[in-house]
Amino acid sequence: MASYRNPQLRDKLAAEYVLGTLRGRARARFQSLLKYDTDLRRLVADWQARLTPMAAAAGDIEPPARLWRKIAARIRTTASEGGWSTSLAFWRSLAAASMTAVFALVIYLGAAPEAEPPIATLAVMFDKQARPAMLVSWPPREAAGERPIRVRILQEHPSMPANTSWELWMLPGGKAAPLSLGLVGLEPAQVIKLEPQFAAMIDQAWGVALTLEPKGGSPTGAPTGPVIFEGQWIK
Amino acid sequence: MLDSNPASFGLISRGSRSQAQAERLAALLAQCALGNHAAFADLYRATAPKLFGVALRILRREDWAEEVLQECYVNVWNHAAHYAVAKSAPLTWMTSIVRNHCLDWLRRPQREAAGEEYDVALENWRDENPGPMERLLASSEAAALARCLGELEGRQRQSIMLAFFHGLSHSELAAHLKQPLGTVKTWVRHGLARLKRCLAGAQA
Repeated sequence: MASYRNPQLRDKLAAEYVLGTLRGRARARFQSLLKYDTDLRRLVADWQARLTPMAAAAGDIEPPARLWRKIAARIRTTASEGGWSTSLAFWRSLAAASMTAVFALVIYLGAAPEAEPPIATLAVMFDKQARPAMLVSWPPREAAGERPIRVRILQEHPSMPANTSWELWMLPGGKAAPLSLGLVGLEPAQVIKLEPQFAAMIDQAWGVALTLEPKGGSPTGAPTGPVIFEGQWIK
Repeated sequence: MLDSNPASFGLISRGSRSQAQAERLAALLAQCALGNHAAFADLYRATAPKLFGVALRILRREDWAEEVLQECYVNVWNHAAHYAVAKSAPLTWMTSIVRNHCLDWLRRPQREAAGEEYDVALENWRDENPGPMERLLASSEAAALARCLGELEGRQRQSIMLAFFHGLSHSELAAHLKQPLGTVKTWVRHGLARLKRCLAGAQA
């Protein structure tokens, strides 16, 4: 399969992809390249910025009132209204279905040189497209000294909207409320201090979740925003 | 602070009104990511006429435009957390979602239904007042693009606008304009290259 190394060709294809003249097999080939070629994605984004304003030539037309009613009705039934538990139920089924990807990642990690003892508790956190997005691990209780939580971001271009923060939550068993482990930034590798009051509980927790909160974290001590990533512990 | 990244056109633009609008939309999108329904309603009010206009121009049928817009706004709500202000201006992001959805819609078998009305609609558009170029020049987001489009040869501009608004392939363009395939490909390629140079110059 051609991967298009010539810069001029790449730019020309990106332009025609955005414009819409790239069709059929060539378009399908280009689209599959976009998945892994970040430079190509950037070329596409640049052409979208150049050409998309042409849409203003269409002129504004007020849509009928029924359109908003239909949209509002569909938005009302999404998970953010259903609350924390419906969101979790979705994620648990997703995690169960993704165990193959989980094992593959664990094997990969086993091969990576790490200073800490190999028997760490690990959670692979998945995004809504079931792609691995983040790794969270900490040494077992038997380890000497502090037990820092290590966070590794797997996404290539992690981002959060303006004035928001990512907050990491431990999910204890049963119906107990999630407990905040702290805020997570965008750096690829981070360490969070595990608070002593959580240290005993974390080994019984079944997983972690990351939510999008207002800047500085949840004002209430409980998750207020949507779940972005979620994962179960692998022991 | 000006960099050479055209993706920042939307925010570092030729009008403080346009920049203020972009910042407002970005803030609303961030609120949508947090599940704020009132912000989503504001976002809809601020953007729906533009996006409905685009969808209607591309699809030429009100019922199709309503269906596509419904899907797209629900997608915007569900994916607001994935919008990154550094990667594209808010209206560019939302317009791309709508336009891509419209073009995919047109490529389904139903397209046969739009056969003749399609040709007629194209001719009518040129006779409208204000016409497409006037609207572009009047728009703060599109002013630079409008000026650069104005510098193209008529055939280059026409091919590019037809492709943008009707999702025509090179062969379809050639058939519509009654020109050889190679000629049309050249018009599009040269037109795009000139637009790129002109827009880069406009930002300097």
